Amino acid sequence: MMDVLHDPGSSGRFACARERVAAQLKDLAQKYGVYKGRSFDFEAFRKAFVSRERTQEPHLAVLGARMGEELFEMTQASMPLPVVNETCVYNRSVAWTYPGEIADKLSAARAGEPSENLPTDCTGELLENRPTNGVGELQANQPQDFSENHFDALMDWYAGELLGQIPCMRMTDVTGRRRLFQDPSLKGMIYHTVKFCDFYSFEYAEARSHTDLPLLKIESDYTVQSSGQLLTRLEAFAESLELNPELAETILAAEGGPGHSGDGSNQRPQSHVGPAAKSGTDSGRGKPHMGKGYYAGIDSGSTSTDVVILNRRKEIVSSMILPTGAGAAIGAERALEQALQKANLDREDIDAVVTTGYGRAAIQVGDKSITEITCHARGAHFLDPGVRTVVDIGGQDSKVIRLHEDGSVKNFVMNDKCAAGTGRFLEMMARTMEMSLDEIGKAGLAYDEDITISSMCTVFAESEVVSLIAQNKKPDDIVHGLNKAVAARTAALVKRVGGAEAYMMTGGVAQNKGLVKTLEERLATKLIISDKAQLCGALGAALYAAELS
Amino acid sequence: MKNLQIIETFGHYVEQLSDTNPGRARALLKTGWQAQNLKYRFAPDKKLLWADQYLAHLMMDTMLKPLKDAKNSVLVSVFTPCELMQEAGLSPYNVEAFSCYLAASKAERAFLQTAEDCGISETLCSYHKTFIGAAQKGLLPAPRCIVYTSLACDANLLTFRELAALYDVPCFAIDVPACRVEVKRSEDDRHNLPPGENKMEAPAPWTDADVAYVADQLRDLACFLEEQTGRKIDEESLRGRIARSRRTLENYDRFQKERVDKYIPEDLVSPMYCGMTNNILLGTEEEEEYTEKLLAELDKAEPARGKRIYWMHTIPFWSQAVKDVFLLKESAQIVGCELAQVANLEHHSEDPYEEMAMRLLYNSLNGSITRRIDAGIRHAKETKADGVVWFNHWGCKHTLGGSQLAKKKFEAAGIPTLILDGDGCDRSHGGEGQTSTRLGAFLEMLGGQ
Repeated sequence: MMDVLHDPGSSGRFACARERVAAQLKDLAQKYGVYKGRSFDFEAFRKAFVSRERTQEPHLAVLGARMGEELFEMTQASMPLPVVNETCVYNRSVAWTYPGEIADKLSAARAGEPSENLPTDCTGELLENRPTNGVGELQANQPQDFSENHFDALMDWYAGELLGQIPCMRMTDVTGRRRLFQDPSLKGMIYHTVKFCDFYSFEYAEARSHTDLPLLKIESDYTVQSSGQLLTRLEAFAESLELNPELAETILAAEGGPGHSGDGSNQRPQSHVGPAAKSGTDSGRGKPHMGKGYYAGIDSGSTSTDVVILNRRKEIVSSMILPTGAGAAIGAERALEQALQKANLDREDIDAVVTTGYGRAAIQVGDKSITEITCHARGAHFLDPGVRTVVDIGGQDSKVIRLHEDGSVKNFVMNDKCAAGTGRFLEMMARTMEMSLDEIGKAGLAYDEDITISSMCTVFAESEVVSLIAQNKKPDDIVHGLNKAVAARTAALVKRVGGAEAYMMTGGVAQNKGLVKTLEERLATKLIISDKAQLCGALGAALYAAELS
Repeated sequence: MKNLQIIETFGHYVEQLSDTNPGRARALLKTGWQAQNLKYRFAPDKKLLWADQYLAHLMMDTMLKPLKDAKNSVLVSVFTPCELMQEAGLSPYNVEAFSCYLAASKAERAFLQTAEDCGISETLCSYHKTFIGAAQKGLLPAPRCIVYTSLACDANLLTFRELAALYDVPCFAIDVPACRVEVKRSEDDRHNLPPGENKMEAPAPWTDADVAYVADQLRDLACFLEEQTGRKIDEESLRGRIARSRRTLENYDRFQKERVDKYIPEDLVSPMYCGMTNNILLGTEEEEEYTEKLLAELDKAEPARGKRIYWMHTIPFWSQAVKDVFLLKESAQIVGCELAQVANLEHHSEDPYEEMAMRLLYNSLNGSITRRIDAGIRHAKETKADGVVWFNHWGCKHTLGGSQLAKKKFEAAGIPTLILDGDGCDRSHGGEGQTSTRLGAFLEMLGGQ
């Protein structure tokens, strides 16, 4: 095992850090040599150093903790600009200085010229002046030419290079990481954290408060579990980039101008939203056709599938809310059919259909799919142009969206994989309390005792509720405690996104009066609840459909 | 019940006030803790040993000092050797202890949430996250400076850097290597000891070079503290202090070994206090006095009864399920906590810096997890523990990662082991029903309850 020291050895008091790492490298080489019966191959070592090209083109970067290859590919495919992987491991390189250059530096040093990263010991003496040791048997057959084969000096150089790389967040001094954020060709950041690797959350916290660049945070456990939710976040971020006027030209240029689909693996085949979307179509989908001036939006959520049909004047002519059931595609077909019937329309009357929600990709009837983040923002802006923050507590997740004045997404956050704070949490608790969702929505308004549910975990919270029931606590008091728990989680999301007035709550949970009241108290503000609250996502999708034609 | 309501209300006000007026919140916190200290002094829990009554008061005094005079305090991680700071006239201001006390005051949730709202990971250790949140809110004052080590806890590496930036105070990190390294250097420059000084022989697994690497940093720390305080650290006085530290640890080890046949009434916090004071107050007269009091009371202790449990990692003192089983119970007691016994040195150095360096290197939490497990087995056997609880504190990756291996090794050594998941500081990570079932079943399995 090799010890990773926490200081790169740059400061005076840690001058020996490099010496310690070099000693471990020599020890490793010696032991490995004995184990394999081989000597150190200088040439192979030298060849292992491959210079790394850094792009000067406008690009996005994935930063933070190491991102798995599948997730990175998914990220690349979602973004409208090339994406560079600058996460842990991928951003590190020791190839910026070549071993062969050491000799030149030494010559310069002998001539009295200043030079950096020369192999010296703790006392500052040049290592080449010291006798070799440790692995003499490995280099017995090598000529003692420093630039080529001086093993000790080479390992000392190597140790210095290892310690001098872009530092990991475990290091004491992480100022070297600034170069990752100060690249002028960097146009946006996707900050990736890995569950239980806490180091990078600190950098994210700092980046968030110090950058003006578009920034998305995603978290994974290094696998592609929950890829649906991750994809929603990535696509919503891509959509917000495309709607960002400052980036429009850059994105267009990266795609090779209008109509160019892009030829690099870093690029998405098509733009999804924004200028290109108005005249474009989504690959693999039916083309918008000439109908009778009606546009449909389908929001396929985990609990319900909602449909809105608009006419040319962007008036709602029909809407439908049905349980999603077992299959998103079938549920969407059924909801669309019923919405059409309600307005006495046929499928042919519809000019364009945009799908949104978790099931959006599975629905074949749509012309385009757009994330529910972008659609909720659009829908909320349509319902009330003064809205700047949308709180959407859905069945599977809860999200808070910050809006620009034009209704486009400024920023958004979603809850993590955990169900706490989502509609599912309330459903589970309603079941435990043998109440319907309607009943739980009304309860909690007239509480007497201010109960706090302390467990964050849904399962543990459920067991707390069971204990409270056993203690004969009043249902209103327990429900109020549950509302407080959900409100606390939601308020935390609002704070993270930088919530601003006016607030609108969308989604089915907006009908829960007790929760709305508790959340209003927590946020110290009034929430706008539209009678179209549950249709907001579908409405936004229908508005985008209207722009497709 | 009434007492609980008072604490809950107190915590609620501290949380609320820290939103609007952090200065008043701090004053309230200080007043509340001072009131508690008066209780420890004049109306202590008589069921506890006199030594432990003294300890509660000593610990609360230690907590109050930074609140009263922050500019003469140094923010430290729990395993930072504090003798140098004591010599420099600075009082320890310990992150983990403050979070514990905030949790005991039922005021941790708002601070955890504040830190998480800023983007700090939900999986970061709650002992660190609570403090960060409280510092961000302005509840906890800025110290003179910060000193921490890389030892054992990964969260240290982040928390103290963050706090140094937040408070804008100088920070000193002690890098403690986890692996031995042979660095071949000439004999003369191996250690910066005065001529004629004895070179200590470092036993495996660490080398002279490892000890020198840490000792050199501690010498630099002395210079750093002198710069910060303008106070010269007297080598002779330091030597005397280190000798006191050694006596204190020897006293405590003796107490642990000699309590085997005795019944010592235990609450859930005294073993934790001891884990803190045996680190941050090591070298003080008060801590030595505590261990002397412990030894003095052994003779009067009654014969052992009930099940004896050795505890690994921190104790979730706030948990009713754990209180139900262990709080001053004759049927089962916690007879030791690994945090109070982290440095068993078989060899010593006359050089104070090397002695402190060795305590860090040979800390049972440094290096491979098997060192920690082996130390736990040895200590559990010394106290004739009937079983071990390995507490998987949420956020402690070292503990979580080693838990299965620990269970295997403890049980192979003949010590039944319970792995208990929970959180020492954050109530929201607790599953009280499950904790109660696991602990109850474990004690039933041991033949108790």
